[in-house]
Amino acid sequence: MLFALIKKELLALIRDVHGLVALFLMPVLFIIIMSLALKDVYSPAVKTLPYVVDNRDNGQLANTLLTEWEKRHGKPQANITNWSNEVKSGKLSYALVIEKDFSKAIAAEKLTGEIQARLITDPGLDGSVFAANKAELNMIASELRAQVLLTSSLMAQFPPRAYRKAPDLPVTVSANSLVDAERLAAGSRPTSVQQNVPAWLVFGMFFVVASLANLFLQERQCGALARLASLGVPTSMMIWSKALPYLAINGLQAALMLAVGVWLMPLLGGDALSLVGIHWGALMLVLLAVSMAAIGLALALASLVRTHAQASAVGPTVNILMAAIGGVMVPKFVMPEFMQRLAEFSPMNWGLEGMLAVLLRGSDMVGVLLPAAKLMGFATLMIIIAVLFFRRRAH
Amino acid sequence: MLLIRNLSYCYPHTEKPALAGVSLNAERGQILGLLGPNGAGKTTLISHLSGILQVQQGDISIDGVPLAVARHNSPTRIAVAPQEYAFYPMLTVTENLECFAAAGGLGGDRKRQRIGECLAFSQLERFAQVRAERLSGGLKRRLNLAIALLPEPELILLDEPTVGVDPQSRAFLLDAVKTLANNGAAVIYTSHYMEEIEAIANRVIIIDDGKVLRDGTLNELLNDGVAHVRLAVEGVIATQLRVLLGRFGSVESIGEEWRVMLAPGQTPTALLAAEEEVGGRLRHAEFGRNNLEQLFMTLTRRSLRD
Repeated sequence: MLFALIKKELLALIRDVHGLVALFLMPVLFIIIMSLALKDVYSPAVKTLPYVVDNRDNGQLANTLLTEWEKRHGKPQANITNWSNEVKSGKLSYALVIEKDFSKAIAAEKLTGEIQARLITDPGLDGSVFAANKAELNMIASELRAQVLLTSSLMAQFPPRAYRKAPDLPVTVSANSLVDAERLAAGSRPTSVQQNVPAWLVFGMFFVVASLANLFLQERQCGALARLASLGVPTSMMIWSKALPYLAINGLQAALMLAVGVWLMPLLGGDALSLVGIHWGALMLVLLAVSMAAIGLALALASLVRTHAQASAVGPTVNILMAAIGGVMVPKFVMPEFMQRLAEFSPMNWGLEGMLAVLLRGSDMVGVLLPAAKLMGFATLMIIIAVLFFRRRAH
Repeated sequence: MLLIRNLSYCYPHTEKPALAGVSLNAERGQILGLLGPNGAGKTTLISHLSGILQVQQGDISIDGVPLAVARHNSPTRIAVAPQEYAFYPMLTVTENLECFAAAGGLGGDRKRQRIGECLAFSQLERFAQVRAERLSGGLKRRLNLAIALLPEPELILLDEPTVGVDPQSRAFLLDAVKTLANNGAAVIYTSHYMEEIEAIANRVIIIDDGKVLRDGTLNELLNDGVAHVRLAVEGVIATQLRVLLGRFGSVESIGEEWRVMLAPGQTPTALLAAEEEVGGRLRHAEFGRNNLEQLFMTLTRRSLRD
């Protein structure tokens, strides 16, 4: 009897293609994607970040520091005069600025306290990467200073007259007071909340896919959609009647998630999400574009799938894969180069970039136009697919 | 009112047509019973009338106007009550009626009036605020019908409207359908229950393999049927009796009894005389024409369908 029941269970499993996809293909895809995405996580991403050098000092020591930096971080991008905008928009991760008196200051016995080397970073740069880069710059500068001072000290042991009294003076070896790092002014503070809310908000908004697809299937299977069609309800009206409520739901999701960030997180002891100084129009535009893309995808999937099993398997799978690829689950900056390129094909990544631009970089409408346009284009394509299949499936 | 001429339809990627030269008509105030086994082409025919399928070959017209034009001008002239429960289970009875009334273009006082009338017609007033998913099978059927009636259609297609309901609900639904026809609507009623068709249809069409096999009033169809003799005989071995009866027509064994579909020119008197000649003792005999079910089975053959 047990054998017969086990056989029944196995046959049921084997014949449930979508269940098998969820059981086997999902984890396989996840292993592949996450392994590739996290490939470089233990070899710090600081090495591969795109940066630019602004050297205002022509001294030898400045060049030595830059050579050392280049050894550790690769070559800088070609001369970009207007690097400020590039850094602010996140296209460059940081600019390494060497002030004109760097060489003089680093070799001076007495430090002036003026900053001579600074990292100016993308406002959205990950906190650990920011700290690591700053520490590394400090270390290289201090090493350089130590070498210079040591050379001076050795020379003092076999002195020409002028240096005879030098070693008696107190000398600070650390170049800490000469080095600094700062995020390019954005109006809001980069915290984990500031980074996490956009990511999970975009992820959550895309989850209307499963809900919409299942409801659509229910209507289709019971014949309600065919009945509406036979009553002369146009396809466009059926599509809009589905899209508009979910647009409102996405709006509520956004309001709720932002409210959690602004008000609930501080109550729980976390950082507060700051919306001070953000461009509200740009935020609305990005949210609308994300919502349209999510609803478009939901409508297309709902029109393409045939069964609840398909909807239940395909919807969440597509969402999770888009999130894994798109930088929601694994920050894009820790991914290897080709995964970062791949991320740029994920609509969730477009949404995330748009949200980060508004919340971290203080972008205005123009600043979010590209991700918003990509999302709207994606939404249009999906809605075209939905319309093409909708009528056929409605019947 | 409805006239279909030489309608043929072939689904994509299939060679065998689902409909092959179907012609029929339906009149106001009449119920047309549409009979056919599974896969006969009933659903394809209904799909044409409800606008789901476009005409590939042949003509369908409503009062002389091509169906597509008639549907475009007034899609609610034709209503379909499909076999499925084609409504929203999570909505109440009233909410469902409101939704489909609006979809059918009703609004304001007219909408409220029609919802009230349809609730009353289907005797669903007591359940107006009950979610559709909590209704019994019979009540769901009544809601399905009520939704179809909202826009006051002139032609109503009822696809097996009594499947899975208790006898009381069935009787109610049959009376309701008769009332619709009496009020002037043309009704096309498909069912697998022959006694329902016999009880309410003015005309019957039997369809199979996409073709109309019979079209006529119930009397015409039954008179057209083959005469048969059903008998039980003792004193003759079965094989001998089968050979003897076979001379008079096709023979079928039903338990201990035999049924002979008389061939043209053969009479029951001659058959009984022949049986007595070989020493048979007649225990029971019955003579008559086919009922609708027998005619249906004869025409569509007895092989099981998909």
